[in-house]
Amino acid sequence: MNKIVVCLYIVMTVLCCKAHASSLDDIIEAKEIVIAVYRDYAPFSAQVDGTAVGIDIDIAQHIAKTLKVELRLKWITAGETTEDDLRNSIWKGHFLDKTKADVMMRVPYDKVYSQKRDDVGLLVHEQVHMFAPYHTETWKIVFKKQKIEEVSTMAVFQYHPVGVEVDSIPQFYLISAFRGSMRKNTHQFPSIVAAVEGMQAGEVDAVMGLRSQITALHHTLNQAQYQLAENAFPLIGKQKWDIGLAVHNDYRALAYELGDIVTAMINDQTMADIFKTHHSTYEQPAYYM
Amino acid sequence: MLKNGKVKALSLSVLVSLAFANTAHAQVTDEDISQDHLSTDQIVTSGMGLKGQRYSTLETINTATVEDIRPVWSFSLGGEKQRGQESQPMIKNGVMFVTGSYSRVFAIDARTGDELWQYDARLPDGIMPCCDVINRGVALYGDLVIFGTLDAKLVALDKDSGKVVWKKTVEDYKAGYSISAAPIIVKGNVITGIAGGEFGVVGKVRAYNATNGDLVWERPTVEGHMGYLVKDGKKLENGISGGAPGKTWPADLWKTGGAAPWLGGTYDADTDLLFFGTGNPSPWNSHLRPGDNYFSSSRLAINPDTGEIVWHFQTTPNDGWDYDGVNEVISFDYDDKGKTIKAAATADRNGFFYVLNRENGDFIRGFPFVDKITWAKGLDVKGRPIYDDAFRPGNPMASTDGNKGSSVMAAPSFLGGKNWQPMAYSQDTGLFYVPSNEWEMEIWNEPVAYKKGAAYLGAGFTIQSLNEEYIGVLRAIDPKTGETVWRYNNYAPLWGGVLATAGNLVFTGNPEGYLLAFNAKTGEEVYKFNTGSGIVGSPVTWEMDGEQYISVLSGWGGAVPLWGGEVAKRIKDLNQGGSVWTFKLPKKYAEVSSIAKN
Repeated sequence: MNKIVVCLYIVMTVLCCKAHASSLDDIIEAKEIVIAVYRDYAPFSAQVDGTAVGIDIDIAQHIAKTLKVELRLKWITAGETTEDDLRNSIWKGHFLDKTKADVMMRVPYDKVYSQKRDDVGLLVHEQVHMFAPYHTETWKIVFKKQKIEEVSTMAVFQYHPVGVEVDSIPQFYLISAFRGSMRKNTHQFPSIVAAVEGMQAGEVDAVMGLRSQITALHHTLNQAQYQLAENAFPLIGKQKWDIGLAVHNDYRALAYELGDIVTAMINDQTMADIFKTHHSTYEQPAYYM
Repeated sequence: MLKNGKVKALSLSVLVSLAFANTAHAQVTDEDISQDHLSTDQIVTSGMGLKGQRYSTLETINTATVEDIRPVWSFSLGGEKQRGQESQPMIKNGVMFVTGSYSRVFAIDARTGDELWQYDARLPDGIMPCCDVINRGVALYGDLVIFGTLDAKLVALDKDSGKVVWKKTVEDYKAGYSISAAPIIVKGNVITGIAGGEFGVVGKVRAYNATNGDLVWERPTVEGHMGYLVKDGKKLENGISGGAPGKTWPADLWKTGGAAPWLGGTYDADTDLLFFGTGNPSPWNSHLRPGDNYFSSSRLAINPDTGEIVWHFQTTPNDGWDYDGVNEVISFDYDDKGKTIKAAATADRNGFFYVLNRENGDFIRGFPFVDKITWAKGLDVKGRPIYDDAFRPGNPMASTDGNKGSSVMAAPSFLGGKNWQPMAYSQDTGLFYVPSNEWEMEIWNEPVAYKKGAAYLGAGFTIQSLNEEYIGVLRAIDPKTGETVWRYNNYAPLWGGVLATAGNLVFTGNPEGYLLAFNAKTGEEVYKFNTGSGIVGSPVTWEMDGEQYISVLSGWGGAVPLWGGEVAKRIKDLNQGGSVWTFKLPKKYAEVSSIAKN
C-alpha cells in the first residue's frame, strides 16, 4: 500500500511540476532537485540563447551532481523584496501555478534578517531555513578613466555624473547622503547593465552597484579605459553581507547535506573557481574562517 | 441524461440570445455609451454612465418593495482561482459580461445564469503583478468585449463567441506593469491606464481605436515625458507632460516617477473631458524627492481626442504616505443661489473629500470624510494640504544602524480613507454615498531588508483599526456642506462599490458577504442577503422583461487580505469565493406595491 502511494507520489512530482518542496529522501528517490534562481540576473543566473549560465547556475549544477540527481531550474521574477521571493519559491508557492522549489539561491545569510519579527511579534521567516553562506557581497564603483582621474572618496560625485539601478541602495545613497550633495549627478537606469551601457555612451562617468556585478561587467569593458574604484562608502549602513541558500523549514536534513556540499566547495576552491570563471570578485564568508 | 438535457437547455438559451442579437440593438454604439446613465434596459459602461455616478432611474425596487426581491440565479466563476472578484457586471441584449480574478471573462445568459462562453487569458510564468490578481470589468463596443489583463495587454473578444478579435500589448509586464481596471470607451476610442509597482514605472494613459486596437494617443502622467498623437499611422510628438522635465522633481527622478493611473477614468460630455487619477510617486520615500512631484497623487483632466492635459489638481504633493490619487472623479451639477455649478467630486485616499470646478480644476471646497486625519492639519484656500511634519514617515537613510528606526503613526492608513471602491451619487438626494474606512498606520524604517540578494532599505508598516467595533463606514455626504447626513458602521473594511437608485435605495456589499440596501435618505438598513463570500465588487441594476434586476459579484479578496497586522486578524476567517448573484423583484410584487402606492 505504502509503495503504491510512494510510486504515485513520484509520478506526480515528475509529471505535474512539483506542487510542494521535497525532503532529501524524496529528492534522491525522484533523482531530481528543483533550484530557484533569479531570471535575467547576470553574472548570477541568466539564459543566453536558451542555455542557463552564471555563478548560481554553476553552483546549482555542482550541488545536483554531488547529490547524483538531475537539476531543474525554477526561474523567479524578483518581487519587491526577498520576502516575496521566499514566499513564492520556497513555502507558499507561486500564486499562479502554485509550484515550489526545493532550494532557493542568493538568499541573505543574516541572523538579524532570519530572526526578524513582524508587527505582531511573529517570526517573518518561520517557514524558511537560511543557511550555507557561499560568498560575501558588497558595493563597488567602476569609472571611466578619461573622465575621472581617481575615485578616492565619494566627494568626486559632487562633480561627476554617476549611474545607479533604480530602487536600490546605491540610488538611495547617492540621492540622499551628505545632505543630497550628490543628488544632481545621480542618474537612474533600469538595471546595472543599462547603467554601464550609459557610461559607455557618455551619459555618466561612473556606475555604482553590487561588487559581483560590477567586477563581472568590468571584465567585458576595455580595461585600459575603465577602472574599478577602491573607495569606501561612508554612511551607507550595510557595508558587507553574506549570500547563502534557503529551504523550507521542514527539510533540515536537506539543509545539512547542502551545507556540507557548500563547505566542501569552499574548502577545495571550487567556489572561488566558479567566481573566477565569471570574472567576478570572490570573497569567502567569515563563517568559514 | 441529465447532462444532455442541460446542454439542450443551454443551446436553446443561446438561440434565444442570438435571436435577440439580430434585432436592432445588437451592437453597442457610441449613442448607447453616452446615454448609459439614462438607459434602464442595459449597462454598457463601468460606472453606469460615463460620469460614473452609479445612479439608476429605476424605482420598481424601492424602500417598500425591496424586501420582496429574491435571488433568481447564481453563477460560479469556478476553478481554484477564487481571489477577489471586483468586477462590475455589464448587460447587453440579455447577456451579462463579467470578469473574474486571474484575467478571465465570462458571458452569461442574464435570464438563466447559463454560461455562454468563458475566456481565460494565458498568463506568462514570470508574471508578478504588484497588487493581487483582481480585475474590475470589461468595456463593450460594437461586437467587442474589451478588457485589460494582468500581463498589461488589452484584449478584444467577439461578444458572441468569446474569440480574440484583437490584442495589444499596452506595456511590458516584465518591467512591472499590469492592468486591472475596466477600460472606458469615449467616441470610439478605448482608453486605459496601467498599474505598476515600485520598479520605477512611468504612468501613462493611452487611447486605442476600439475597433482595431490601433494606438490613437499616449499621455505620460509624470512631468517631463513626451506625449504622442498618431496621425496617418505615424506617432507624432505631442508635447511634454508639464512642459519640461525636472521642474518639480530633483535629479532625474522624473524618469522613474511612478504616478500610475491604475484605476481607469470617467468622462463628462458637457466639458468634453476625461478624468483620470494617478498613483503615488516613486521612490516611496519622500525624503529622496523634495518637490511636488507632478503629476503624482493627482487628478488629471484630459482631452479625449488628443490626450492633452487640460488641468490637474494634486491632492497630496510630495506624497510620503502612499496616498494614491487614483480614486474616481464623478461629475455632477448643483445649484448655488440660482447658478448651476459644473462640479466634480472625489474622495481621496488621504481622507479629504474634494469638490472641484470640472471646467478648470479650481478647488471649490474640501473637507475630511473620515473621523481622523493626522498627516495634514487641513486644506488651504487652494485645496493644498497643510502638512503636519510630525506625521511624515522618516528618512530610511537616516537610520542605518540595523535598528527599527523612528516610527510614525499616520491616519488614514495607506489603504486610504477610501480605496478603489467606487462611491455613488444620487440625483434625488444630492448626496454622495461613500464607502470609507477608519484605520491608521504605523510606519518605520526597515534597515534589515534585501532585494535580489542585495542589501535594501525598506519600510515596515502595520495597519490598525481606529475602533474595536468597526472599520468600514458607508457615509451619505452632502457635497455642498460637507455634512455627513447618515453613516452605517461595518465591522470589516468596506471594499465594494455603491449603487444609488430612484427607488430611494443605496446598495452595497460587505466583506462579511452581505448584499445590503439602505434607505437613501435615512440610512435605515432595509434589506440584507448573504452571498456566501465577501463582496468587493460593484452592484448594478437594470430592467429586463418588465422586471427590475440587481446583480453583484461575490468573492472575497483584493488588497485588504494581503496586508498583515491587526486588520488581518479581523478578516482571516472570511472565506474566498467567486460567483455572480442576480436578484429580481417578481412582477406580482411590483404590482402589489404600485397598488399600495396609489
